[in-house]
Amino acid sequence: MVAVIDDERLSETFAALASTTRRAILGRLADGAATVNDLAAPFELTLPAVSKHIKVLERAGLVVRGQQAQYRPCALDAAPLEAVSTWAEQYRPVWEARFDRMDEYLRQLQTPTKGRSA
Amino acid sequence: MSKQNGSGDDLRIERTFDAPVTLVWQLWTDPEHFKAWYGPEGASIPTATMDVRVGGPRRVCMEVHTPNGPMQMWFTGEYREVVEHRRLVYTESMSDEHGSVQAADADAHGATEVRVDFEDLGRRTRMTLIHAGIPQDSPGAAGWEMALDQLTTQLARASRG
Repeated sequence: MVAVIDDERLSETFAALASTTRRAILGRLADGAATVNDLAAPFELTLPAVSKHIKVLERAGLVVRGQQAQYRPCALDAAPLEAVSTWAEQYRPVWEARFDRMDEYLRQLQTPTKGRSA
Repeated sequence: MSKQNGSGDDLRIERTFDAPVTLVWQLWTDPEHFKAWYGPEGASIPTATMDVRVGGPRRVCMEVHTPNGPMQMWFTGEYREVVEHRRLVYTESMSDEHGSVQAADADAHGATEVRVDFEDLGRRTRMTLIHAGIPQDSPGAAGWEMALDQLTTQLARASRG
């Protein structure tokens, strides 16, 4: 069961994923944790450029970094992706509430004495 | 999940109502009835127009009360399938009041499709709602969906070890 998804967080996740480089970085991290140096190697990018991408992924909660001061390895956190892949779930509470009202309204409509009082 | 199409993230809700299918159908297709239940909580529907036939336009305005006064949101779309008392399918996108779809919404989520199946159980009606995201028409958006699908599959596999 997915909780109500925070819209802002969802947008952040989408924004973080809207880059081929960042998706490739996540793809690499799916194989295991890696340092910024490791991650930069396959791309023709400077370390600061890669760091920037990693910061975006960190903010979106897709990457967590170790605390070792020297190289702080990056690891994948796939949890926000579940929210993205099930974003339709955010509509569930809205529809459930609608159908509760529908139920109530149908009851009103079918009560002969009251009829449509609204 | 029993039913999936597209990216497989459809919302599916099934409910049975103590009312004949003709009446439940009216609640979806008659704007006056529709306004009475659609909400959502704290919102009202000042305008709803529904041309209930395949290709017919559908427009709904939702008004929410905020500390800064009322705020209106418009939704537009068209009917894709209309089988009286059986099935209703329509698309929906956020739009401005003239019905033009907002770019921001098209980018973030695209249009959505709402499908309602009605099953006549005599004095009762079983209703199944499927609310799905539908891919954008542009090749770029389709590619993006595909990339996202591949990535989530790959990552889900990785996180299972």
